[in-house]
Amino acid sequence: MNIQFKKGVLELCVLVLLDKQDRYGYELVQTISEQIAISEGTVYPLLRRMTKEDYCTTYLRESNEGPSRKYYRLTDKGRTYLRQLKEDWQAFIHGVHQILREGVHDE
Amino acid sequence: MNREQFIDQLNRSLRRLPNEERLDIVQDFQEHFDIGLEKGKTEEEIAASLGSPAQIAKELLAVHYLDKAEAKTSAGNLFRAAWAAVGLGFFNIVIVLGPFIGLASLLLSGWAMGLSLLVSPLVVLLNLILSPKSFDLFASFASIGLAGLGILMSIGMSYVSRKALKGFVSYLRYNAKLVKGGLKHE
Repeated sequence: MNIQFKKGVLELCVLVLLDKQDRYGYELVQTISEQIAISEGTVYPLLRRMTKEDYCTTYLRESNEGPSRKYYRLTDKGRTYLRQLKEDWQAFIHGVHQILREGVHDE
Repeated sequence: MNREQFIDQLNRSLRRLPNEERLDIVQDFQEHFDIGLEKGKTEEEIAASLGSPAQIAKELLAVHYLDKAEAKTSAGNLFRAAWAAVGLGFFNIVIVLGPFIGLASLLLSGWAMGLSLLVSPLVVLLNLILSPKSFDLFASFASIGLAGLGILMSIGMSYVSRKALKGFVSYLRYNAKLVKGGLKHE
């Protein structure tokens, strides 16, 4: 798949996952890579950028199983951004779907 | 690659970042290894699915330099930001370096013109000193007029430069967002 395209999709996935609940990095990476083939390490630069752009904040929380984990929490600004990205995505998917269907008809 | 090698290479690729930020990034990856090991994976498996530390560092550096260029627009910062963006891919050599050189030369020529107009009275003065007989009233007044034009142009250029640099930084930011390979390169 095209790199630019995947980049935007990855951001959308992270935002959606954080919308439901706060998560730590490893959890985010695993949840996404169960569904899509990604270089897992690139999620961390993305999380840093999103934190710098105030789409999310971070906090540390102790874990029963080991050392404390860095959790990411979506901000209001992040939620607004997510809404907009979702709309863009749906319009895009709808357009592609339309073209695919028409292509099949013509054959 | 095992954990130590991965962290080592990441650390080395990030040596130009401020210490605090570098340590914070490395901490994120240490945490990732810790949790992965708890879940029963080997260091090698975890490192392999993380991908190349050099590529990860490239993206982190690009984000960092853009922030710096935005906070304080100096020629050096801007150049480093452009260079970091170029580092993201060969594709960017055309997309970033082209406009960067174009913009830089446009600004440079504007400034050169403004400044040369500004110093034109000095040329007339110099001429007068070298050959006092050649005093020409028209040249004197014309050069003063030109100097006025030069002042206006310099003021205009400093405004234009600021705007252009700001615009270029946001272009870089947009570009980095667009081009960075967020997922596996195929």
